[in-house]
Amino acid sequence: MEERKVKLEIKDMTKLYDNGDGVEHINLKVYEGEIVTFLGPSGCGKTTILRTIGGFLDVTSGDITVDGQSIVSLPPEKRPTAMVFQSYNLWPHMTIYENLAFGLKLRKIPKAEMDAAIKKHLALVSMSGTEKKYPGQLSGGQQQRIASARSLLLKPSLLLLDEPFSALDAKIRQQMREELKKIQSDLGITVIFVTHDQEEAMSLSHRIVVMNKGKFEQVGTPAEIYDNPKTLHVASFIGEMNFIKKGDKTIAVRPENVSVRAGSGDDLDGTVRTIMLLGHYVVLNVQCGENVVKCNVDRTLSDSLKIGDPVTLKFTKYSEFDTEAGFVPVGQ
Amino acid sequence: MSKKAKQMLVAYGLVIPAFMVVMLTVAYPILAAVIKSFQDPKTGEFTWANYTYFFTDPVQLKNLLYTLYVVIMTVVIAIVVAYLLALYLRFTKSKIAKTIGTLYLLPRFVPAMCAVYAMITIIRDSGLINRIGLLFGKDIHLGMMYHASGIITMNLWFNIPFAALMITAGLGAIPDSIIEGARDVGAGKFKTFTSMILPLSLKDVVVASTFVFMSNVGSFTTPYLMGGTSPKMLGIALFDQFNKYLAYNRSAALSVIMFLICSVSAFVYIYSNLKEKEWEK
Repeated sequence: MEERKVKLEIKDMTKLYDNGDGVEHINLKVYEGEIVTFLGPSGCGKTTILRTIGGFLDVTSGDITVDGQSIVSLPPEKRPTAMVFQSYNLWPHMTIYENLAFGLKLRKIPKAEMDAAIKKHLALVSMSGTEKKYPGQLSGGQQQRIASARSLLLKPSLLLLDEPFSALDAKIRQQMREELKKIQSDLGITVIFVTHDQEEAMSLSHRIVVMNKGKFEQVGTPAEIYDNPKTLHVASFIGEMNFIKKGDKTIAVRPENVSVRAGSGDDLDGTVRTIMLLGHYVVLNVQCGENVVKCNVDRTLSDSLKIGDPVTLKFTKYSEFDTEAGFVPVGQ
Repeated sequence: MSKKAKQMLVAYGLVIPAFMVVMLTVAYPILAAVIKSFQDPKTGEFTWANYTYFFTDPVQLKNLLYTLYVVIMTVVIAIVVAYLLALYLRFTKSKIAKTIGTLYLLPRFVPAMCAVYAMITIIRDSGLINRIGLLFGKDIHLGMMYHASGIITMNLWFNIPFAALMITAGLGAIPDSIIEGARDVGAGKFKTFTSMILPLSLKDVVVASTFVFMSNVGSFTTPYLMGGTSPKMLGIALFDQFNKYLAYNRSAALSVIMFLICSVSAFVYIYSNLKEKEWEK
């Protein structure tokens, strides 16, 4: 494998708040041109890490480097990063043009060059012609596009996105994700993305960092994390997962990895509890003792079953966890 | 009687007492005063003399300019100091800032008379400062009593907390993310202030200024207790006209003049409130 260039490196970084919360001993390398997502529930420390990279929080100890240069002692305005915030935070008293021009003016970019760059980036986010409007006259999605354009304009070495789409409705969110991914691959920039939405993380990222309670639970590609969750938390947080208790072990199996047939004798026996048609596939809930196991099956099978029928389940792929603590990923 | 008519009667019945009080105690006296201000005290005929007196008599003209001087100085200093205080309270998260944030409104709860007398005991030529000076062998005479500087100092004591309260509220409404966004694209602290914080809080500054201005044009207690014999502030001049010279027509004219001075600032206030900036639409 060819040696990839490290864009961002976090070295044994600790940030503790006065109340004792925070993140400790964080280590991570992000390579050039990568989209890395911090994924976790609110309060897990993902935004804390992002804000220490952006310079809005001081680190308690450790180091952060971009292109090999330490940035921890720099104020936000001196860092080679640009941040897109959850709240869009366009400046309400400035027109879109002024919002976009603000950072360029600070860099003393000549007017003609500035106009061209603004025009180009407005086109990039499909917002051409809005130069004279004020942020308040745009919808949330439009404001977020402008906010993205404003950050991209400054050609940041590293783009930081703090749940940028969480205030948008589902359809626009989907669209914005696709656009972000396209812009990112066109420009080849490195992106750190923070979200609590696992679907968003899966669809956007090259690598995902799953976080819980200030710690990294797993770092890996979306496929690695989906297929081989290392902890129960990761297993429960990403995608849909059935958890079946067997003695002191918990078996985690995804609905699509359960094969169902009428009768008995496979890994687990049960009876059909509900049958739900969800378009091209059917979700079968099977009552197995105390557990309800969700299975994705096709129409041909479901059409032959009715509620109350005895069925038997086979787990084609699963993970096994020690219920007490930690994890013991076993076979498949 | 129909149900609707009954409802109307009840509605008017509820409004009329308040309406009458306003008409009798506010509208009528204002109207009467305006009419009186244009009447000759002896003949009752129409005249401008009551007004021209205040703009031609050297003593009265001096009073007018003196009042404007004291008020404008009060507004400027109070707003600048209050703005600095509000900035400190908004952007500092230390214990000291928190304590100041709780205590700075305290002067609003001290009765005006007590505050003025307290100030007098400190700044007068035989006051606290003078005595402390004497301990070190220095006979300090501040000369602030019966002088504009004393009145302005006292006005600041009253108005800084009030102005700071309004401006703090305005600064509090500016989200951190707006400031962080500016820092993020490369603006230093000063640039962030001039491009973001100041324009976004300007309206509160204007509103606070107009309030401070209006409340000081007609002030009485402070200039009465701390002011000199000449020039006098308009509140005292009006008191003289009305209570000492019993010159009711001139009193009425001076009242109207003071009202007009205040209305300039009222106009600024209403204008800045009504005029929606384009970005606020």
